[in-house]
Parts: sequence; structure tokens; C-alpha cells
Amino acid sequence: MRHIIAIHLQNEAGALTRVAGLFSSRGYNIESLSVAATNDPIVSRLTLVTTGNDAVIAQIIHQLGKLVDVVQVEDMTQGLHHERELLLLKLRVPASQLAHLSTAISTAGGRVLADTLDHFVVELTSSEALVTRFVTEAAQFGEVLEVVRSGSLGIS
Amino acid sequence: MGLLISTVPLASGTAVLHPLDPAAAPLTPPAHPLAGTRMTGAEMIVQVLDDEGVPVLFGYSGGAILPTYDAVFVHNQRCEAAGRRGMPLIVPANEQGAGFMAAGYARASGRVGVAVVTSGPGATNMVTPVRDCLADSIPIVVLCGQVPTAAIGTDAFQEAPISQVMGAVAKHVFLVTDPTLLEATLRTAFEIARTGRPGPVVVDLPKDVQNWQGVFQGTGALPIPGYRSRLKHLRAQQLSAPACAEFFAQLALAQRPLLYVGGGVVNGNAAAELRRFAAAFGIPVVTTLMGIGAMDTTHPLSMHMLGMHGAAFANYAVEDCDFLIAVGARFDDRVAGVPAKFARGAKFIAHFDIDPSEINKVKRVGWSHVGEVDVALAVLRAHGESQGFAPDYSAWHAHCAALRRTHAFNYDRTSTMIQPYAVIEAINRLTRGQAIIATGVGQHQMWAAQYFDFAEPRLWLTSGSMGTMGFGLPAAIGAQFAHPERLVIDIDGDASVRMNLGELETATTYDLPVKVVVLNNFGDGMVRQWQKLFFKGRMSGSDKSLHKKDFVKAAQADGYAFAVRLDRVADIDATVKAFIEFQGPAFLEVIIDPDAGVYPMVGPGQSYEEMITGEFITSRHPVLVKAPDSSEMF
Repeated sequence: MRHIIAIHLQNEAGALTRVAGLFSSRGYNIESLSVAATNDPIVSRLTLVTTGNDAVIAQIIHQLGKLVDVVQVEDMTQGLHHERELLLLKLRVPASQLAHLSTAISTAGGRVLADTLDHFVVELTSSEALVTRFVTEAAQFGEVLEVVRSGSLGIS
Repeated sequence: MGLLISTVPLASGTAVLHPLDPAAAPLTPPAHPLAGTRMTGAEMIVQVLDDEGVPVLFGYSGGAILPTYDAVFVHNQRCEAAGRRGMPLIVPANEQGAGFMAAGYARASGRVGVAVVTSGPGATNMVTPVRDCLADSIPIVVLCGQVPTAAIGTDAFQEAPISQVMGAVAKHVFLVTDPTLLEATLRTAFEIARTGRPGPVVVDLPKDVQNWQGVFQGTGALPIPGYRSRLKHLRAQQLSAPACAEFFAQLALAQRPLLYVGGGVVNGNAAAELRRFAAAFGIPVVTTLMGIGAMDTTHPLSMHMLGMHGAAFANYAVEDCDFLIAVGARFDDRVAGVPAKFARGAKFIAHFDIDPSEINKVKRVGWSHVGEVDVALAVLRAHGESQGFAPDYSAWHAHCAALRRTHAFNYDRTSTMIQPYAVIEAINRLTRGQAIIATGVGQHQMWAAQYFDFAEPRLWLTSGSMGTMGFGLPAAIGAQFAHPERLVIDIDGDASVRMNLGELETATTYDLPVKVVVLNNFGDGMVRQWQKLFFKGRMSGSDKSLHKKDFVKAAQADGYAFAVRLDRVADIDATVKAFIEFQGPAFLEVIIDPDAGVYPMVGPGQSYEEMITGEFITSRHPVLVKAPDSSEMF
């Protein structure tokens, strides 16, 4: 099962490496990982999407709890939460498909960041599933040049 | 996000105490007598070590740690002038030796061992002891010199990315880049090493931080809010009355309960409480390799060691029990074999551990408690006694006694070649479970675990989880510093002792009365045993019969006044007696039967019903030796 785990981490040398190292050395899977500052200047929030059965997820949470720099671990999948991912999509679209693309963008709730002679850059913030769906859909209207995804963020 | 992945620590000016952490609130202890004094970073390091009560340092010098070595020298000079004990600095042949000396000191004393080494190769030579200490939950603090902060990341001379390398193998690692946080970092390193599930903490100390001058505060620790709040929570985890009641309700249904005791009981200083608990209700005890000594091995309730090379009677007791109580043990692969088949008859398993990740990690249990095990056992015992829980396990006791008699350890007592077991029995007749025994890794390690008695915890020093050959000699040296008056014996193998043979000289340099036994079977005996059993006898890389080393001459060259080769069965008792009674460092090489094996044996990835007992130990049922599944074999 897919889990979104939020880790509050002290801003210490090597802290991020230790979290990433824990996953690789114990063979846990990381589907996405995103890190940024919080309102506490000495704490960063690391949001990680992983998959595993209940025993694996329990181990991940317990093992994270053994890292000294980890302030708090929260498995957001356990309760009500909001999940968002940011997509930046660069694509080249023939004129014949522009209307379709425009509809798809407004339906998904995205917007065009750049519109050059050569390509578009589209921004979309949505759930991971809808972002994936939008990328597939957009590919039908043109040539996808670059897909940049932030990985999921969540708040409970 | 540069902040998170850079080596920059907390911005200076950040409060040392974290607002999230009420536990870190200052208690306003009396001011340190040296508070406010100007010192170098190196002097602060030595002062914090002194404040922590560190009686001995193990380490090897080098460019990047020189300021600290100089400060140790000056400190010891001042101590000598003032007539008080300083911190002797014990210099090994190789930094790995210093790490295992610190570990041996920590294991034997229960206190934090300290090693101090230089940057680059000095620090990377310390990787094996640090991982070894993590794997066996041993508290040490390793101070590593590092190139100056301005040179970090430039491929400087003797530079290695120690916070990265050690981050993967230590309980925690600090890289001190802000010298104003130096003393707080060192205090925090000791705190982390000794609290919770103990382990190794590495502090990487750039040379300019050691040379920096500042005002010594004499107090303060780093904010580690997550760690401290988890620790506080752990300490607050008292066994509730309903949890106790549930435990005894289940125990009341059992006729054949068994305590399965691991290193957590030794490391948690819970042996006395464990013994009271076992005795209060008459519950027999098996221990893991790491748990040896938690129970007096000569006690009637002791069923000795279980597992891959455990006693046959211990493993049969595990098969026969109907209620298993795991205490500070983690169902390791050397114990549980095939977890699904481990303790198959147990209708109920209870598990005590200080580390929540160990509960249900390998084997699902019906009842568990995460917390400090001595407190938990005391609460549980008091509950049982107050409820008048007085079970009659006499049939189970009789069954265990019969198992012990029928399936005792045994070997070829008529052989004309020296049997290693006989040598250990001869030493044990003199030491009677009171000596500190350190070992290398391999057959000799298992023979020592099987044939020595251990009356107390912390007498048995062995590299259990990591299985590091070369552990024994430096660990024995470290233990001798913990207990200068106690008999310390390194039981080693010819291959294991070679790994850190340079430390033979360390023992004579410091005139330590360590007794070194090398059971020489001219090869890697345990590897050969596996090759005989599972690789059709192809002794790839494990035979040392062409090696030319004369161990006795080597020991003599290193200054051993007692260096003897024992190669006749008839001489065992007299030679062992002279060796043990020798005042000062002593070396004994014993030429043993090269085909002597370690039995019983539960093959890797096999279950207890597949245990083979060899020619001389009675098996309960015939077992065919079969190679384990190669994917399971490690």
C-alpha cells in the first residue's frame, strides 16, 4: 500500500543522507521525496512516498524513529490529509491541437507559465493521480519535452 | 535547501536549547569550576572527557588530531603534578585495535568507551569497530580528527568524508564546524551513546576547531528534541496493571514457559532483575550468544545458549516450550533460523525490548512491552507475587534436567590429539566462571561460549552480530583497563588473532596481565566446517597449513616472558595452570585437532528440527545433514 510519510528533520550535516541511507540500506522503496524549510528555522520537513505492507511501513516508521536528527514522523495515510504535487510540463504542440490542450489545462486546473514559439510550459498542482493523468492526456496533444514533478506533499 | 545538505550546523546565535524540548530545560546545576575560562577547542575536548569521568583513552595520533593529543598530554602532566589520576592514552598498532579496546572497555564496564584517532585512514580504520558496536549495542564515543573546515571537500591530505561514511554505521555522527558548539556536541555524544539502545557515536573534529580559542561554558547540550522526547516517552512506559494481568493470564495457561534472554539484558544492566524474575516463578532460561552471563550458567534454571551453535538441550527446550518470553533479544537469524518454525510449540510469545523496531520485526508476538527491561521485569514480578502466582513447573523442570543430562555438550575424550573443548574445560576448572573471556570469531568463539561458565554478566566479550575476526585481543586489552584486578583471557583462533596481531605487543607495552590463548587448527576452522558440510570439502581459501608463522616466537619477539606451545594431551592441565597463574602478559598456543568441529549446529536458514549434533552429542532423532538452500545460506 502507498503511504505518505512526513518527517520533521533537524537541519544538521548529513541528516538527509541518513534518512536516504536508511531507505537504501534496508531495502525500502522511495517513490518520491521532497524537502524544504518549515516555520521552525532548525527543522525541515521531508515528505516521502513509499509503498509496503503494514509490517514494512511499521518498520520504516520505527527505524526512522531511531535516527537522532528525526524530530517527528507522521504517516499521513493513517488519517484525513490533503495531498498535492506540483507538475511543470514542457511540451511542443501543433497548432491543430492547441484548443484541446487549452481545454485539458483548464479542466485540470493548470495554467500556462510560458508560451514560446517552440514550446509551452504548463504548471499544475493536483493530486499525484491527477498529475499522472494530466501528463498522459497532454501527451496525446503534442510532444512531451520534459516532465518535472515535485513529488507529493501532504498535510493532515 | 542548501542548509539541509550542507555541512553548516545550526546558525550561530540559535538558542542551544530547543523550544520543542522541555526535557532540555536547564536544571541550573552548580557552575562548572572552569566555566568562563578561556581554552582551546582541544582543551575543551579533554575537559569534557574528564567531566564525563573517562578514565582511559584508546587511540592513534596523526596530523589532524595533534592538538587534542597535545591537550591530553598537558592534562595528564597537570594531573600528575596534582596527584590525581589522568587519562592514560593507550596506543594500539592499528586504529581498529583502539576501537575494539574502547568496545572491550565498554562491554566489561558498562560505561562509555572512548577512542581518539586522526582523520582519513585513522578514521576509516575505525569503521569496523563502530559498526560492530552498533550491531551489538555497545556505547562508545569515537573522536576523529578532520582536516580544517576550510579544507573539507578539497581532497586534502588524509581527508575522508567521515560524517558520510560513519553516518551509515554509527548510532549518530557529528561534524563540528561551529567551535562554539564543540563542548555541547561532546556532551551530547556521550548522552546519545549511553541512553536508549546504546551505540557508537562519532564526532568529527576539524583541526581548526581544536585550535580555536573560546570561553568554556562547562554546561549545555545540543538540542536533539526528537531523540530526547522519544527517550522520555520510553522511560515513561511503565507496565500497566492490566498488561501485567494479561501476561500472567497467558502464563497461567502454560506448563512449559521459557525465558529467551539476549544482550539487551546485559546492556540494560538487568541481569539481577532477570535472575530474580526467573527464580520467583521457576522459569528456565536460555540465552543468546550476546546474553551469556545474564543468567549464571551454573544455575539450575540455566539452560545455556540457544541457536545455531547452542546447546542441544537448549534448542530442544525451545522446541518443547509452550510459552516463550523474549527479553532483550531480537530473533536474530543465528537464533531463529526459520522464524516460522522457531519455537513451534509456543502457543504464546511475549517480548520485552527497548527498541520498538524489534517488536514483530522477525516474529509476531502476542504480548510486548517497549521500555527499560529491568524496570519492566521488576514491575511484572511484583504483580505476579502480589497476586500469589505460584505455578508448579516441576514436570517441566524435570524435563529440562533430563534434556541437560541426555543432550549435554560432549566431544571425543579419547583422542590423542588435543581437543579444544578439553583446553577450555581445563581453564574453566581454574577460573570457575569468574574470568573475563574475550574471543575472536569462528569455531573457538563457539567453543568458548559452550564450555566456559559465566557467573556474571559482562564477563563474556564477543563480536556477536558483526562477527568481526580480530575482536578478541584488543577487546581483552580494553577490558583489562576496566578491571585491572580481574583475570582477562582472550580465547582466539590462529586466523582471528592474525587480524590484529599487532596488538600482542600492545599488551606487553603496557604490561597488562592479559592471557592470550590461540587455538591453532591451521586455518579458518568454521569456514572449513561449512565447506566440509556444504561444499563437498573444497577448502577454498581456508587452509593455512602452509603458513610459516611460529606464534611462540612471535609472542616472544613482542616481549612475552610466558610464551608456550601446548601440543600434548598429557600436558594440558599443568601447562594451563602455569599459564593462568603467570603474573603478567602470557601467551599460549595450543595445537588442536584440525578436524574438531562445532556441534550442535543448526545450518543457516534451517530449523531446529534439522539440528545436527555430531558424533558425541546425543541427538533426539536422526537427522540427515543436508545443504541449506543456497539463497538462505549466510
